[in-house]
Amino acid sequence: MRVERVTGRVLSGPMEDVYVYEAPVRLWHWITAFCICALVPTGYLIGAPLPSIGGEATASFLMGWIRTVHFVAAMLLIVMFVLRLYWVFVGNHHARAIFIPAVWSGAWWKGVIGQAKYYLFLQEHSDNYVGHNPLAQMAMFANFLVALVVIIVTGLGLYAQAYGWGSGWMNAFGWVTTLFGTPQAVRTAHHLMMWYMLLFIMIHFYMVIREDIMSGGTVFGVMGSGIRMFKREPKP
Amino acid sequence: MIETYYDLMRRQGISRRSFLKFCSLTAASLGLGDAGAQQIAQAMQTKPRTPVIWLHGLECTCCTESFIRSAHPLAKDVVLSMISLDYDDTLMAAAGHQAEQALEDTIKKYKGNYILAVEGNPPLADDGIYCIPGGKPFVDKLRHVAKDAKAIVSWGSCASWGCVQAAKPNPTRATPVHKVITDKPIIKVPGCPPIAEVMTGVVTYILTFDRLPDLDAQGRPKMFYSQRIHDKCYRRPHFDAGQFVEHFDDAGARQGYCLYKVGCKGPTTYNACSTVRWNEGTSFPIQSGHGCIGCSEDDFWDKGSFYDHLTTIKVPGLGGAEGTADKIGLTAAVGVGAAIAAHAAVSAIKQARSKTRNDKVSEVEK
Amino acid sequence: MATIQTQGFTLDDSGKRIVVDPITRIEGHLRIEVNVDKDNVIRNAVSTGTMWRGLEVILKGRDPRDAWAFVERICGVCTGVHALASVRSVEDALGIKIPKQANVIRNLMHATLYAHDHLVHFYHLHALDWVDVVSALSADPKKTSELAQSISPWPNSSPGYFRDVQNRLKKFVESGQLGIFANGYWGSKAYKLPAEANLMATTHYLEALDFQKEIVKIQTILGGKNPHPNWLVGGVPCSINLDSTGAVGAINMTQLNMIGDIINRTIEFIDQVYIPDLLAVASFYKDWAKIGGGLSGANVMSYGEFPDIANDYSNASMLLPSGVILGGDLKKVHDVDLKAADQVQEWVTHSWYKQGDESKGLHPFDGTTDPNFVLGAKTKGTRTNIENLDESAKYSWIKSPRWKGNPVEVGPLARYIVAYARGNKEVTEQVNMVLKTLDVPVTALFSTLGRTAARGLEGSWSAHKMKYFYNQLMAGLKAGDFNTANIEKWEPSSWPADAKGVAPCEAPRGALAHWVKIKNTKIDSYQCVVPTTWNAGPRDARNQIGAYEAALMNTPMVNPEQPLEILRTIHSFDPCLACATH
Ligand code: HEM
Ligand code: HEM
Ligand code: NFV
Ligand code: SF4
Ligand code: SF4
Ligand code: F3S
Ligand SMILES: [Mg+2]
Repeated sequence: MRVERVTGRVLSGPMEDVYVYEAPVRLWHWITAFCICALVPTGYLIGAPLPSIGGEATASFLMGWIRTVHFVAAMLLIVMFVLRLYWVFVGNHHARAIFIPAVWSGAWWKGVIGQAKYYLFLQEHSDNYVGHNPLAQMAMFANFLVALVVIIVTGLGLYAQAYGWGSGWMNAFGWVTTLFGTPQAVRTAHHLMMWYMLLFIMIHFYMVIREDIMSGGTVFGVMGSGIRMFKREPKP
Repeated sequence: MIETYYDLMRRQGISRRSFLKFCSLTAASLGLGDAGAQQIAQAMQTKPRTPVIWLHGLECTCCTESFIRSAHPLAKDVVLSMISLDYDDTLMAAAGHQAEQALEDTIKKYKGNYILAVEGNPPLADDGIYCIPGGKPFVDKLRHVAKDAKAIVSWGSCASWGCVQAAKPNPTRATPVHKVITDKPIIKVPGCPPIAEVMTGVVTYILTFDRLPDLDAQGRPKMFYSQRIHDKCYRRPHFDAGQFVEHFDDAGARQGYCLYKVGCKGPTTYNACSTVRWNEGTSFPIQSGHGCIGCSEDDFWDKGSFYDHLTTIKVPGLGGAEGTADKIGLTAAVGVGAAIAAHAAVSAIKQARSKTRNDKVSEVEK
Repeated sequence: MATIQTQGFTLDDSGKRIVVDPITRIEGHLRIEVNVDKDNVIRNAVSTGTMWRGLEVILKGRDPRDAWAFVERICGVCTGVHALASVRSVEDALGIKIPKQANVIRNLMHATLYAHDHLVHFYHLHALDWVDVVSALSADPKKTSELAQSISPWPNSSPGYFRDVQNRLKKFVESGQLGIFANGYWGSKAYKLPAEANLMATTHYLEALDFQKEIVKIQTILGGKNPHPNWLVGGVPCSINLDSTGAVGAINMTQLNMIGDIINRTIEFIDQVYIPDLLAVASFYKDWAKIGGGLSGANVMSYGEFPDIANDYSNASMLLPSGVILGGDLKKVHDVDLKAADQVQEWVTHSWYKQGDESKGLHPFDGTTDPNFVLGAKTKGTRTNIENLDESAKYSWIKSPRWKGNPVEVGPLARYIVAYARGNKEVTEQVNMVLKTLDVPVTALFSTLGRTAARGLEGSWSAHKMKYFYNQLMAGLKAGDFNTANIEKWEPSSWPADAKGVAPCEAPRGALAHWVKIKNTKIDSYQCVVPTTWNAGPRDARNQIGAYEAALMNTPMVNPEQPLEILRTIHSFDPCLACATH
């Protein structure tokens, strides 16, 4: 099987199964997905708490628990992200795909445009790619990685605020508050990013399902086994 | 930090002998006799109180009002024994030319040694004509006095951030002091107004320890502004428990539940209210049942309703459309959901059609 | 130039021009220019507000429930009055009725401000016009003590007490650093008090400075802080809990006790220090009962204040009545209607704003605030270095409000004259007491001295009313009435698409009202017409002068280089320029 080096486009057969996502990438994917599933509802409830409960304050720690879950999931998410960054350097070619999209390559841009045309129904067929197609790489980078970084950074900024100016946390992350101007602005940005993240997830789900049905290769199980199989030969 | 007259005269090469002679001559000319000469000599050898010039720009004078509420120390003692309030249009006896003369005298006499306290801020739009005390733009006066000041204290949210007159659309281009004066140490003491004891606390710190207090990244004294209202709030246990005031004067309100849901900005506000409290520790906004409105924070007027935890944001490019993060997010999610559904529908049709065609294509490909 | 005849005054700008800018010991930035004739009598007066912030512009498009916080920042001296005017007008627009106890608490907070503001004005902003601090140094403390004891039972009156203060002052003066007393008009012939009275008043200047911070604690308890306590559309934010769990977190018995205690001490201080001092000082300046009357003998206005019945701002409810007196006719008191298009109107002919037809006034529901800084041809100096203003053109950031086209004076004196004319018993008794003590006729009220005296009397009146409201609050609680907020129409979804409202509020300095228009739950237009706007405003399209300019007319000055006389009369109004222009 001949593959275009930069983009991963399959140029000619024979079609073989390819090991795309190594175990650490898959592990990261699922733990991150799990963390986000915990962070979105807890985050939302921090912004708009549940109906008030009565009784003695000492008898309940509801908001406290919601925040604790949020913080634990947040810390796990951050640790996993740091490990994933390490894997960018030591992992295979596909581990880099969404972190370093090949924006310097003409072939890559051709791939982006071709794929975009395909999604806009302006072109009948998409090419086969071994890993993410170029448009997917770009979308993952711009819509997921950047969003994740912003949400982590603003989250850490908020987390540090509670420790106060002059604390170790604030010395490390006080710049976030300074950058955004006010503590309230950091909160608003963090909150908005939750919605952005949700939009990404919606589109991601849709694309995974759609691609599995319509593209030339399997998608659905790839994050499980790591292996991509192809259904048809590329166009000549 | 401030030289006495005696020091000054000695530095200019005048001997102690001639200094004493000068004192008795002065006393004689005033008809004060020997005792008078001694008093003059005494006064000239003691360290003068630190001169303070207090300017007022666009403001509401609440900072001055707050200052005179100080109980520890009493405002009276600050003004009579600690500083020399040489110019302050709200309190001084002289007016007009005599007042302006007092200002110039202080600048000249204590060049580089006086403290400039600013309440309010200068408007910069249209050459500064929205504040023209003495017939001239306030910004000129501010620059003039700042030039020879040792340090500047920015009182309140006006001088520190811009405050209400700088709220959108800021018709006069009211501008905080640090954006106009960039070459002097500036201590911001924000709040609308700041707590009285915080104000006198900052002043007495400077006088007692002869240095400026440690400031945080935004230029506020760490001792008063490094922690959020929320982190020292007595209602915090109710926050953690999930016990909130849902409406004003509901059962939760009467039990002192957390005011988060009626818009309390304690979680995003750095100030000393929940610890020092107001008016000699009597109470503070949250204790009296109203949420913190974030009055010591930059731009707190333009963060949406005081009764909503979430900030109202204008959506760029949508001609004034606005909403909270949740409202905007939900709208976007509905939009994206609809787009996905549409795309899925078209894809399904294509897929059905190309099923048949696909074979043909494959034929050709083969 | 030719002279101008208006309202019985002859304005003549031919004499020497004197400029006093800044006028100090006021709130905000005020400039006064006068022309004096060869006998140093003021023949032309020009009052100019020299700052503008644009609050009315800033409020557009905001949540009406937030408006109180914005407008409260119009002024930190009369803190809270704009907030009160605001919540009342929004409630009027949306048809919200506040609970009885909320009304009582608002009254208590408002009366607290009256007492505080009047006290601070008398001692810290006005006294140095009458009291020579330097002369106090030569007083005999023993005689001072005798003087003090002869006029008041106030316990701080021993010779030792006065000697201590005198020594402290001496030390202060001998330091050579005179601070706020530097360059004052000490020793001027215009000062008439004996040294002992000067020492007594100076001592009380310091004592009042210490005490005023106590009074405001009532606002701190009920509103969370002072200056700038918190308010709420629909009532007050402070919930009360005397019996059950969580009371320590709400307004509780300890705080109510504190309020009661402060009220008693406030009454004591005002009745035993402020009022006796006021009468003592006044008795040496009786000539000032003939100076500075301005409009007070002719046109005065009050909107009425302290609704005894919640949500009822008519004279059936107001403890101080509303009304307008024109041409000095105390027999006919006109009724005020804030919604009537032909009553309250503002002109900008001589103000730095523009509007379509500037020969007409606009009712605040139709009002605009559109800055336009232009100077007249006869201005001396430049745009950014004004030496003399040209009052024939635009010359102030203050607008010119008029009632049915008439300039009127507002403030404690106006309120007292209206109350007197309406036959209010408490006010009449107080006024008669002062007239008798000073042995002056009723016309003495229409003067600089009358203005200062009325403020003092009202200070005492409001201190006693604090007690009245406190008792009402406690009686209500005893009867089980704990409601402090009505939230039925809290949610904007319950509001009509279009609404407008206005409500009266008598601020310490006089008649105040805010006119608000709400469209699709947001503020569409917001106009404030403020006490100092009425008093300090410039001329109108017909060249009628306002209260400040009128009051300065025909005042003889001892020495025009030392503007003591101007300060006395202007200070008798207790100017607030941040309010006036907003
Ligand atoms: C919160 C939920 C999720 C998030 C944030 C998320 C995020 C991501 C990211 C960042 C990648 C790119 C990984 C890389 O190339 O390094 C990815 C790929 C992938 N995800 Fe998810 N994911 C989520 C849920 C899911 C779910 C529920 C599925 C399965 C049904 C899934 C299936 C896949 C597949 C198959 C790929 C590989 C796509 C390809 O080969 O082009 N994801 N996901
Ligand atoms: C997908 C990831 C995340 C989502 C969707 C999310 C969502 C949210 C939301 C909606 C809020 C409420 C904001 C408001 O009050 O308006 C919140 C609060 C917060 N989040 Fe996150 N968050 C995420 C990740 C993180 C991370 C990585 C951190 C890092 C420590 C973090 C720390 C915080 C903190 C400290 C708060 C404020 C809690 C409080 O003050 O009680 N979050 N989050
Ligand atoms: N004029 C005025 Fe005010 C008052 N009283 C308010 O309405 O002072 Ni600041
Ligand atoms: S900071 Fe606030 S309180 Fe102080 S002068 Fe400005 S508006 Fe008034
Ligand atoms: S009342 Fe405000 S500051 Fe206090 S715990 Fe609740 S949210 Fe925090
Ligand atoms: S509103 Fe201001 S006074 Fe304190 S509690 Fe909040 S910072
Ligand atoms: Mg107005």
